[in-house]
Amino acid sequence: MGGLAATFVIVAAFGALVNSTIEFVAYRRLRNAPRLAVLITAVGMSFIVENISLGIYDVNAHSIPPLISSANIFTIGGVHYSWDAFFVILVTAPVLVLLTWLVKSTRQGKSMRATSQDPEAAAIMGIDVNRTISFAFALAGALAGVGAVLFLVEFNIRYDTGFQLGLIAFTAAVLGGIGNLSGAVVGALLIGLIQAFNEGLSWFAPGSDWTRSLVFAILIAILVFRPEGLLGERTPEGA
Amino acid sequence: MNQAADPLLVADNVRKEFGGLLAVNDLDFTIPERSIVSLIGPNGAGKTTFFNMLTGLYRATSGTIVFDGVDITDKPPHAITKLGVGRTFQNIRLFPQMTALENVLVGMHSRLKGGILGSIFGLPRVRREEREAEEKARELLAFSGLKRVDDQLAESLAYGDQRRLEVARALATEPKLLLLDEPTAGMNPQETVAFLDFVAKLREERPIAILLIEHDMKVVMGASERVTVLDYGEKIAEGSPNEVQQDERVIEAYLGRTASV
Amino acid sequence: MAEWRRIPPRYRGWVPLLVAVPLAVTYPFYVTGLPTNIPVILTLPTVHDSVTILVFVVMAVGLNVVVGYAGLLDLGYVAFYAIGAYTAGWLASGQFQQINFHFGAVGVNSSETGIHISVWLVLLLAGVVTAIGGILIGLPTLRLRGDYLAIVTLGFGEIIPQFVRNGDDLHGFDLTHGTFGISPIDAPGFGQTLHNAVGLPVRYDNSFPPTPDRLFFWTVLGILLLTVFCSMRLRDSRLGRAWIAIREDETAAGAMGIPLMRTKTWAYAIGAFFGGIAGAYVATFNSGAFPSQFDFNISIFLLCMVILGGMGSIWGVVLAGTILAWLNVEGLANIGSWLNSNVFPSSHQIDVPKYEFGIYGIIIVLMMLFRPIGLIPERRRKREIEEGSLGPLDEPLYEMRGADEPGAGERGESERIPRG
Repeated sequence: MGGLAATFVIVAAFGALVNSTIEFVAYRRLRNAPRLAVLITAVGMSFIVENISLGIYDVNAHSIPPLISSANIFTIGGVHYSWDAFFVILVTAPVLVLLTWLVKSTRQGKSMRATSQDPEAAAIMGIDVNRTISFAFALAGALAGVGAVLFLVEFNIRYDTGFQLGLIAFTAAVLGGIGNLSGAVVGALLIGLIQAFNEGLSWFAPGSDWTRSLVFAILIAILVFRPEGLLGERTPEGA
Repeated sequence: MNQAADPLLVADNVRKEFGGLLAVNDLDFTIPERSIVSLIGPNGAGKTTFFNMLTGLYRATSGTIVFDGVDITDKPPHAITKLGVGRTFQNIRLFPQMTALENVLVGMHSRLKGGILGSIFGLPRVRREEREAEEKARELLAFSGLKRVDDQLAESLAYGDQRRLEVARALATEPKLLLLDEPTAGMNPQETVAFLDFVAKLREERPIAILLIEHDMKVVMGASERVTVLDYGEKIAEGSPNEVQQDERVIEAYLGRTASV
Repeated sequence: MAEWRRIPPRYRGWVPLLVAVPLAVTYPFYVTGLPTNIPVILTLPTVHDSVTILVFVVMAVGLNVVVGYAGLLDLGYVAFYAIGAYTAGWLASGQFQQINFHFGAVGVNSSETGIHISVWLVLLLAGVVTAIGGILIGLPTLRLRGDYLAIVTLGFGEIIPQFVRNGDDLHGFDLTHGTFGISPIDAPGFGQTLHNAVGLPVRYDNSFPPTPDRLFFWTVLGILLLTVFCSMRLRDSRLGRAWIAIREDETAAGAMGIPLMRTKTWAYAIGAFFGGIAGAYVATFNSGAFPSQFDFNISIFLLCMVILGGMGSIWGVVLAGTILAWLNVEGLANIGSWLNSNVFPSSHQIDVPKYEFGIYGIIIVLMMLFRPIGLIPERRRKREIEEGSLGPLDEPLYEMRGADEPGAGERGESERIPRG
């Protein structure tokens, strides 16, 4: 169990380091540049990172020895629930609670929210904007690291797995409403359910060939009819 | 005020709330044809919010705005511009990477017809239209006191010239009503005087009405026929510059807060 | 440089064209005589590969309308490529066996089933169909803010290839022939009558090599020149000004009477039109439309061309497109084998083409950080650099904006003042 905890800590720290380094090297210089420049740079960065892992791990899928027992815990109506599946919830729930506390109650979290609303005003109020943004990127990287370990417990990964997962993550965040933590959770669960039903049900579901189309079609529909996301608030129209 | 003709613009009970915040409170406001009126008030009084509703950038929470006989309350900015409302911005918003001439040509967009195929094939009709537009744009630049800057990028112009270019661009939309949002902000006293002379000239030579928004009372006193004073989103006084200047509530509003009187 | 300045500015733009076009047109005649041991790049591309390269350049010029002129980040441009290719597949092949419709197709026996429309017409139709597709995609999405628009276009870029991959069984109807793709697709040509009259080829693919490749090469060169011409004309038109105005300041553009949605949708439609033609042309060149051609990476590849060349700069995009597309089809392999035999020790050989997209990623990031104006900056920005006027002294009084000011990244915070 100690080894497992260490794995989480090391991977999260590494994710935090990578993400804040990217922020420091690239995005920080573009702080005053238009949105388009940052977006494009982010696309470029994702390809660079992906190719670094291609260089290290090549094109084959990799897996790790089972960290968690897949022994059954309980069975409800023919559905077996095993330890490794339960483990995901066991980790996710406290992490989400911790994250919510961090963003809502700590100084750092308040700085983060202030910065996202108005970096200039935040700077005037004495918030170190650069440090706050670095922290946000580190936090995001650490969470991605935790997510990656959880994913690895269940599945194989390849150098480009992250790209697909990142897209789904973005979709989930947009679906829930960007900037809204519970929205992101709801969005992610919804996408997971859509995927599971689409691939698992035999009636009314087009099947796994269409999963990605389905997810994106729903994303597009939501953005068109409710651009602020499911739980996002309608912001006053800006000039 | 001219009672005989219908006013050019009538704002009736216009209200704007942002979330729970009341920015403009049931404001009545009219602009007679060919008049020059001002809207003043301390910073944060709701002037620009009201202005943005007139130009379609914000949608009024309630109330109606009628311009030239057409209800424009829910119309988008470009449609309102096409009906004849031209504007400038408080913090200059030119197209920085376009030349002065191109900036003015963009202003003519809704008055030109050139379509995609016509432009690709270089039809005589489109070419002629472009030539005439360019000529007219150069005239407008000259009229606005901008000399030898036609082919300079907007962002490389001096500050006062940028202000003038904004007016030239607004005039290019062929407005019946020109809205100037704090046009002298950031200008030094000489530039301010020169700019107000320009506004007076504009008024004489063109059949348009002008609405001037200012927080600096001195600027509007000489220039306008009627002054409306806003504070906390409400109209607290309206009348000739002299009347308004002596109004106690106005003095209080200005002196009670950070004032520039 | 001094001589360059003596040419009146109006005509300067034509000089590279007058050099490049004859060089390009005669390329098939001298390429075989060129050395095959040039350092680093080894060879110049074959005529066959040049066709692919130029098709990519056509698409890059099309994407430039969307990203460069109108400032709309489109990460799903590959969808237009796919729609164009499949339109050609539907209208010029035996895909729909239950139908037998012929219209102007050359070299196709009238008893052959399927729809066989003249490829020239199909190219145009593919452009139109794709433009309509662009409008349908644009109408609901162009209202969205930049980052949301990017992700939605990415979504379309994913959905459409998945659709063609799985579209072989839509309630039993085979629309796209699934992973096999639609093949063969008719080749262009001028038919027997024009052949007899003026000697034009009957059908591109019924002569012996190297003729078919040459015919396809000259045709795509013509399409590219036409694309560039349209793109230039549009840039200097009322619509082009409106696009650039939107890119510079959307709010101000709206206030100046530009209908934002309509104008943006036109940018999408025009960009899609060129993408569609390119897709249809590739389909007829390869005699097939295959789902594996329409990877998400293509969108990034094209975006990289636009950024490297300079957003909004036609000639920049043409140049960067040529270089990058060449890297894609031949260059990286050549450079890799040169490096492996001359630089890297035999114990550490590197498969360079494998890292193609990592290299594009590096190009994108470096360009955005250090030279956001691109290799050949757009006309207006170049003028700005030449005149050395990077803004007057009172610059801080107004807000800096625009995707593209030179050195946007380097501007310090001290130069910035909050919006009034």
